[in-house]
Amino acid sequence: MSDLRIPIGSFFALVGAILCGTGLAANYHAPLESANVNLDCGVSMLIFGAIMLWLARRKSRS
Amino acid sequence: MRLAPVDYLILSLYFVFVLCIGWIVKRKVATSDDFLTSGRSVPVWITSLAFIAANLGAQEVIGMCASGAKYGIMTAHFYWIGAVPAMLFVGVFMMPFYYGSRARSVPEYLKLRFDEKTRALNAVTFAVMTVFSSGISMYALGLLFQLVLHWSFTASVLLSAAIVLIYTFLGGLTSAIYNEVLQFFLIVLGFAPLSIFVVTRTGGWSSMASRLPEVMTHTWRYAANASQNPMGVEVFGLIAGLGFVLSFGYWCTDFLVVQRAMAADSMSAARRTPLIAAFPKMVMPFIVIVPGIAALALSHLALGYSIPLKSGGEPDYDQTLTTLMAQFYPSGMLGLGLTALMASFMSGMAGNVTAFNTVWTYDLYQGHIRKNAPDSHYLWVGRVTTVVGVALSIGTAYLASHFNNIMDFLQLVFGFVNAPLFATFLLGMFWKRATGHGAFTGLLAGTAAAAVTHGLTLAEGKGGWLGTVLHTFPSTMAQNFWIAIFAWSTCFLVTVLVSLMSTPKAAAELRNLVYGLTTIPHEQVRWYKRPAPLAVIILAALLLLNLLFW
Repeated sequence: MSDLRIPIGSFFALVGAILCGTGLAANYHAPLESANVNLDCGVSMLIFGAIMLWLARRKSRS
Repeated sequence: MRLAPVDYLILSLYFVFVLCIGWIVKRKVATSDDFLTSGRSVPVWITSLAFIAANLGAQEVIGMCASGAKYGIMTAHFYWIGAVPAMLFVGVFMMPFYYGSRARSVPEYLKLRFDEKTRALNAVTFAVMTVFSSGISMYALGLLFQLVLHWSFTASVLLSAAIVLIYTFLGGLTSAIYNEVLQFFLIVLGFAPLSIFVVTRTGGWSSMASRLPEVMTHTWRYAANASQNPMGVEVFGLIAGLGFVLSFGYWCTDFLVVQRAMAADSMSAARRTPLIAAFPKMVMPFIVIVPGIAALALSHLALGYSIPLKSGGEPDYDQTLTTLMAQFYPSGMLGLGLTALMASFMSGMAGNVTAFNTVWTYDLYQGHIRKNAPDSHYLWVGRVTTVVGVALSIGTAYLASHFNNIMDFLQLVFGFVNAPLFATFLLGMFWKRATGHGAFTGLLAGTAAAAVTHGLTLAEGKGGWLGTVLHTFPSTMAQNFWIAIFAWSTCFLVTVLVSLMSTPKAAAELRNLVYGLTTIPHEQVRWYKRPAPLAVIILAALLLLNLLFW
């Protein structure tokens, strides 16, 4: 069975990258939130995606 | 709400991944078992997440946020006593019979344990219900995207139906389960930040609590008396009705969720599936309910946010979640949040379609229409049923958009049918004297008892259609809990009585189906992988949560 962590990891890594890019390029403000939501969430998703991909890679090596 | 190009980019990226998963899984589908039951080969972390994701539809997310704003943290009862104990029970006590019987579906278990008529009754009602739920999911999706984004109802319904059709047609149950896991992470990563941002904006939990009536931030303190809490329920109805009958009836017998555990790769993994799922289930209230509570506090703060109103002036709680997203998420995250909603609508449909598929193909088609065909024929039937299932769902979605009353009526009837189910399974699995005649009459009697209770009682103007009103409940929720209690008790009593009057099956026929005649394989796994220690840890965590939010 192909490892589901690979598509999930890639999806969130990609979305994370897109959000980080959006957050860095322009700090879109939501009406009630002053934080850079896209950058904060983008970084967390990038990390999550990377962990998933790393776990999948570790599994396939062993 | 207006979407920017980046939002559409994220949404399309999701569609691409969903279709890719279907495509990858397709290579593994060779037999009808692969297509309809995943060939019992799915790793346990995936079945566990799918086990709760199958229930975590968008209506659930939106509805829980709405209830959070309306009832406060008491809504968490739907998770803490309305789900977790039943999940422990199905994992520790019932899974050995489901998985060990080698039944491919819940109705098939009833056929092995009782007889053909009990299975047919369960299979037919279940099949109708799944098509109906899938259609309702589609209808809700079309309505939401029409309201929030001004998309055309037909376009959203057809687009989502087409994508669901493609990936379930390609990969069957495995594809549905894999996409549910992706959807689970989307919901968590898409809505946990919202919860954090909204609560932070109100000044943190204690500041938020100080702006609300006490009852909104306590789960049990006001539960003793129905007039003291906004749900209008009292503690017995809550525990017996929700915590026992309704929750065990759903989590322990509904094939949609049980099917996920049955797809696991071993008995030990099947038993662990609902137990591992209980951990994320317990913390889900902080993601889906807390934003609703915070929204209410926020509307007292004069920051420019208020709970949206209906045209009549009363609060429209169902829009709490989407208005929070619009206020707290900029383009980008907004796209991800909407993708998460879209994903959970779609996996709601896919879950129902795949469950419908299995029940139709194995329990109704193979059981009654064509018994001994080669396997390739049933694989073909399964694929065709996917198309038919999606088409029927689209039909139901349009029916719902034109005749709202029919939907309310059907939902009520399904409630009556489901309420007694757990009594049948409990007796079937733990009392070897229970017979097919007993189970069948018990189910019918239980359903009738539910209908009669509804007909003789009144709550918020609902029920009482039998002419005389014996009791008036403070809320429809309390009425539902009590209907369930009466239905369950009637089914239990009638099943016992009729069973005692009819001849039981021979012990040899009940091997691996009933407690006492089943040897549970002793698997050599570490202690933390065994059901009992896991269940104890979960119970301790559950107790702690209830005390913290007492």
